[in-house]
Amino acid sequence: MKKNSLLMSFLIDKQTLDDLNILGKYAVNSIYSLFNVVITAGGEKLLNKYFHNLLNDHESINKRSQLFCFFQNGDYQFPIKKEDFVLAEAYLTQTNYSNPLNAFLHATRVQFLRKIGLDKEYQILKEGMIATTKVFRSLTTFGETFDNGLVQNPFALQCETLKTILNNKQLQWIKKSETDDKITFIQFAKYDYVLRYALKNELAELLHIIYEIDVNIAVAKVAEKEGFSYAKAYSKERNFLSFEELFHPCVNDAVGNDIEFSDEKNVVFLTGANMAGKSTLMKAIGVAVYLAHMGFPIPAKKFEFSVKDGIFTSINVPDNLHLGYSHFYAEVLRVKNIAEAVISNRYLLILFDELFKGTNVKDAYDATVHITKAFSKKIFSSFIISTHIMEAGVALQKEETQIQFLYLPTVMKGVIPIYTYKLQKGISDDRHGMVIIGNEKIIEIINGAHL
Amino acid sequence: MDFTVDKQTLDDLNIFGKQGGISIYNFFCSTYTKGGALLLEKMFRYPLADKDEINNRTDTIRFFQKNKITFPFNGQLFDIVDKYLQNTDVRSKLSNEEDTLKRKFRSAIGVENEYELLHKGVIAMIEIINSAKDFIHQIKKTASFKSYEEDVEKFEFIFKINNLDWTQKEKNKKHLRYPETAKYDRILRFEKNREMRILLELIFRLDVFISVGNISTTYGLTYAKATNNVDKKIEIKDLYHLNIKDPVKNDVSIGKNSNMIFLTGANMAGKSTLMKSIGIAVFLAHVGFPVPATAMEFCVQDGLFTTINLPDNMNVGYSHFYAEVLRVKKIAYEVAKEKKFLIIFDELFRGTNVKDAYDATVAILEAFAKREQSTFIISTHIIEAGETLMKKNDNIKFLYLPTKMEGEIPAYTYTLEEGITNDRHGMVIIRNEKILEILNEEKQLTYEFFNR
Repeated sequence: MKKNSLLMSFLIDKQTLDDLNILGKYAVNSIYSLFNVVITAGGEKLLNKYFHNLLNDHESINKRSQLFCFFQNGDYQFPIKKEDFVLAEAYLTQTNYSNPLNAFLHATRVQFLRKIGLDKEYQILKEGMIATTKVFRSLTTFGETFDNGLVQNPFALQCETLKTILNNKQLQWIKKSETDDKITFIQFAKYDYVLRYALKNELAELLHIIYEIDVNIAVAKVAEKEGFSYAKAYSKERNFLSFEELFHPCVNDAVGNDIEFSDEKNVVFLTGANMAGKSTLMKAIGVAVYLAHMGFPIPAKKFEFSVKDGIFTSINVPDNLHLGYSHFYAEVLRVKNIAEAVISNRYLLILFDELFKGTNVKDAYDATVHITKAFSKKIFSSFIISTHIMEAGVALQKEETQIQFLYLPTVMKGVIPIYTYKLQKGISDDRHGMVIIGNEKIIEIINGAHL
Repeated sequence: MDFTVDKQTLDDLNIFGKQGGISIYNFFCSTYTKGGALLLEKMFRYPLADKDEINNRTDTIRFFQKNKITFPFNGQLFDIVDKYLQNTDVRSKLSNEEDTLKRKFRSAIGVENEYELLHKGVIAMIEIINSAKDFIHQIKKTASFKSYEEDVEKFEFIFKINNLDWTQKEKNKKHLRYPETAKYDRILRFEKNREMRILLELIFRLDVFISVGNISTTYGLTYAKATNNVDKKIEIKDLYHLNIKDPVKNDVSIGKNSNMIFLTGANMAGKSTLMKSIGIAVFLAHVGFPVPATAMEFCVQDGLFTTINLPDNMNVGYSHFYAEVLRVKKIAYEVAKEKKFLIIFDELFRGTNVKDAYDATVAILEAFAKREQSTFIISTHIIEAGETLMKKNDNIKFLYLPTKMEGEIPAYTYTLEEGITNDRHGMVIIRNEKILEILNEEKQLTYEFFNR
């Protein structure tokens, strides 16, 4: 069973990623762009990898979130100047000498070019080398900060590697050479050989550790700034999700909400007026679960969950007029796809916003009741279903015990609706559509009052 | 006075092709010249709002179609001439003094490119003028060119005022001598440049008329008759949608006494398609183009607004309902101007709960129905709203598109009938997709899994 789960990757599709606005470096307010405060290009690549490869066993999730937590508690700063790192990275990854002779010949050629007045190449290489030494010195100092008697250091392995590499005999000259500018030709050739040939593999490893440090610090900083916390993952056997003060990271001054799913109550039936915040709440749940499966900090005060196999959402289903689908049919097909996913992968999180909004009330009522009932039997998956059709909720309330009924209330201040964004138990019958139409004064406009 | 159409409407009706598929513009664009295609686009951008202008354009296209007149020019000539006439740099003027031995030598070895281009332009221009003359001569022999008379006069005016008799003399010549080329070039490109451009514009118009007439023949389209008769606002017989194969045809009639159509029908019964067909026919009729129907008569409108695929604007934080409210508000402002608009609204207020949708539909439609100048076609799923409106208003016409059940499979006739339908086949569609079965099947799988 466990072996099997390790082989599987996390199930998610484009519709879901779009609904939750997860990926996209340049997408407005995407979750990726929220975390993309890394300094190095390699760090960005690594971050991207984390976003595309979700974890699906609780041990590796907890391990990674502890690592981020450790970095946040330590309040570490990225020890290397960006300019230095760019030069050092370019220098170290530029040429791969095939043998020592080749390295020596290259150094000689550069020296020769310099002698005849073409010292541009030499200058570039020297700058790269100097930047590299600076990076190494900063790293040595940084590595020492980890040794301050910390009992459990989830980054210990990488620290050890770092130390081993930096203490390599062939690199000791770096610690001594305070006067970088006075490098002789012999020294230059020797150092170049060491950095770019002899210790090639060690230094590639070192670069990777730097990328990791970069990402860890970036994620920790975002967590600190946004007030995120770390989720605790459990094995998937028992289906449960428990949020405390969950909020959406892209909403300013967001209101936190508590919400819980378990195998006894695996469906949330969500109602509320237009603009009461139903979609935002559902997106917040989706985003938090996604981030939790990366081991990343999540926008909530506390979050404990059993590991899922995937997320499917149906929040903005576009009608596909090219294929001649009506909006309703597009929704039916989406539900069908999800039903198929639910039967082949038991442990899923499913979000349905405004199920069957493209059809008439009676059809939507029938369909919502039947589909919700059928889904509630799938106790290993968690579902949230929001709808305008409160009558469907009333019908389900009578016979279903698997369903929790929650709503987002609207409070009327005179004719102006105020939204609390705070979940309450029950079914909402708030209807303020006519109030909005009244506020926009449409009837008066048609009658010519405003001309 | 313009015919008002907004971007939402152009997108809904797929006039310029944003939704993929064949746009209405592409459907009609089979002109012989690039200039004709541009003029066609301009006609689509600025539909007409004047009865006589519309009927005149319609009659002209019909005239060419009826007499099976083909485009009398070689389309490639216009690419040459277009560049030629645009070159109004005086330094490129040919002068007789330059007709030296040196030039002749250069010409003989083929390096006198600039001159060759001008020479080609002159030859092409002469061919165009001669063909135009022949063509007008032919047209005048035809009995009923009345609607095209204005253009014919313009042609003749150009022929006369410039005294272009000399073109006759150079007919069908492939080569002109240098002194002639220089002389003609001066006349065509400098002295009478403006007139030559007007001539081209006239030919592009002709191109549009003839190519649209051809499309009309190919697809069996009909010409609509524009009136100012407010009692019969829109009368269409056998209307259909251009992009549908073997379409079912419907008659649509909206008059003063019923300025609103309340359309109901199940999902996929064809409501949106019918509304789009009406929108497209009215749009084309105002361009003066033939329409997909067997007969059409319409009172000239001041504009057309459709709301068929309204996107919600999540970036600005609008819900679908609020996007609809804002769209209705915009249309409310237009309607209140006491102008004649055709308003088409598909699935009004589908983004809110039933009770709100009912209240809002009744309130808004009652207010709209009192605006007798404008015409409304509204579709909705809220049949209860229709029943309420039916009791209170006598100027609303209730139509529906029926569904006939053949066992488990819904069949659609796509033919309009009077009344309100309460056909609902959402559950049938869900059942046919076997979603519940898929989910119930899994129950057994789960138990198997535990029993193992």
